[in-house]
Amino acid sequence: MLIQTVNLGKVYKNGIAALADINLTIDFGEFIFLTGASGAGKSTLIRLLFREELPTAGQVLIGGRSVVRLTTPEIVRLRRNSGVVFQDFRLMESCSVFDNVAFALKAVERPWNEIKMRVPAMLERVGLAGREHENVMHLSGGEQQRVAVARAIINNPLILFADEPTGDLDPKTSDELIHLFADINAEGTTLVMATHDKDIVERMQRRVITLERGRMIGDTVGGWQL
Amino acid sequence: MRGNSWMTVAAILTITISLFLCTFFWLIIANLNANANKVEEDVRVMAYLDFDLTQRDYRNIETQIKFISGVKNVEFVSKDQGLESLEGRFNDSNLLATLGGKNPLPDSFSITAAGADDVKPIYDAVKKIDGIYEATYGAGTVERLFALTDTLRQAGLAVMILLCVAAVVLIALSIRLTILARKKEIMVMKWCGATDAFVRWPFFLEGMMLGVLGALLALGLEMLLYSQAAAYISATVSFVQILPLSQVWGSATVFTLGAGLLLGAIGSVIPLARFLKV
Repeated sequence: MLIQTVNLGKVYKNGIAALADINLTIDFGEFIFLTGASGAGKSTLIRLLFREELPTAGQVLIGGRSVVRLTTPEIVRLRRNSGVVFQDFRLMESCSVFDNVAFALKAVERPWNEIKMRVPAMLERVGLAGREHENVMHLSGGEQQRVAVARAIINNPLILFADEPTGDLDPKTSDELIHLFADINAEGTTLVMATHDKDIVERMQRRVITLERGRMIGDTVGGWQL
Repeated sequence: MRGNSWMTVAAILTITISLFLCTFFWLIIANLNANANKVEEDVRVMAYLDFDLTQRDYRNIETQIKFISGVKNVEFVSKDQGLESLEGRFNDSNLLATLGGKNPLPDSFSITAAGADDVKPIYDAVKKIDGIYEATYGAGTVERLFALTDTLRQAGLAVMILLCVAAVVLIALSIRLTILARKKEIMVMKWCGATDAFVRWPFFLEGMMLGVLGALLALGLEMLLYSQAAAYISATVSFVQILPLSQVWGSATVFTLGAGLLLGAIGSVIPLARFLKV
């Protein structure tokens, strides 16, 4: 078991209860959709799983260790084994495609020779070969999301979290991105993706965790539950 | 630094002014210490002799003085030499006439001590020797000088601390603006698994660079003014000993640059701490 949540809950400082009593387990190599309407708690759950936020109730256990009790070096290790893709991409606007992807390797202090080799190979994989020197702001939304995916997976994470990655993309670009995720998952990376895109969930027929008003109302393999 | 150039300039100028004043106080204290030490070294015990003594008594007294522990040198000062010295001090070559043609001064021994700590015991011992009606030394002079040095040192230290705090705050504000401009970058770095040290390092360097730039400006200004002030003071107040520039240059450089680096480093660490808790 890779991740387990036990009675997980989150109440924000403004008093809004975003999540309550979430109990789920995620195994190595799974591809999981987190579904639900806007405000159901999908993004909060993703943020708790990769420790951007800490729970106010219950536990998130990663490899059997509570994320609350992780020491600083353990947090660094957790992050180095996780990748995150955000709906708003969170790219460095003033930097090139190459620099944005290289950023993840520089952050984990990889040598420059290795960075020079790995970034073009990764860009080729996500369909952006030859676009290294373009400014990311000159790319389309779909291309920017590919840069964000390249940055998230270049360190070969064990688990990839994606928060509404297709939210702002057209259906064709969304499709391409989902196929890319399926390929990454096929290579062994566990994937947890928050989405409210019914078509994608129906088509992929993977495990679906359904949230409603901060509570888990479904955990099945198959299509859309709501 | 590019994004907040005014704050950067303000930070560098604050460091320059702060370090200029810190080094200024440091140089004053160094010079006061040097002068105090010199005065202390120059302190002599003067032993004034009774008027009715014979040459044999003189030799006897001189021998007794030489046997006092801590005495380095004993020099006989005749009453004529004493008068000459007095004439020189008052700048009056006709002092004898003013005194009615008769020299009222006694013969004396000028006693040099081996160390500053020996002066008081020598004075106490000399007073007890028969044939000496009075002994004096610069009682209080050294103590007053050291009291003044101490007061100035404490006042200087208080001012230095205030100035350093101001410099650190300005550096912290400048670095904070840089951090805010790069907040997203820092967050992504942390999510990618960057260590705190890796994130901190560029800001640390930036802070230290601000510190060194301010320190270099302060040092240049200080040395320029010091050499001119030293020349002026030496020419106008001859009894004050001003340390030559060559003697203070090295330690002033180490002091100012070290302080600049330290202030820069502290100023960069403070604002970053909050952003590293991701």
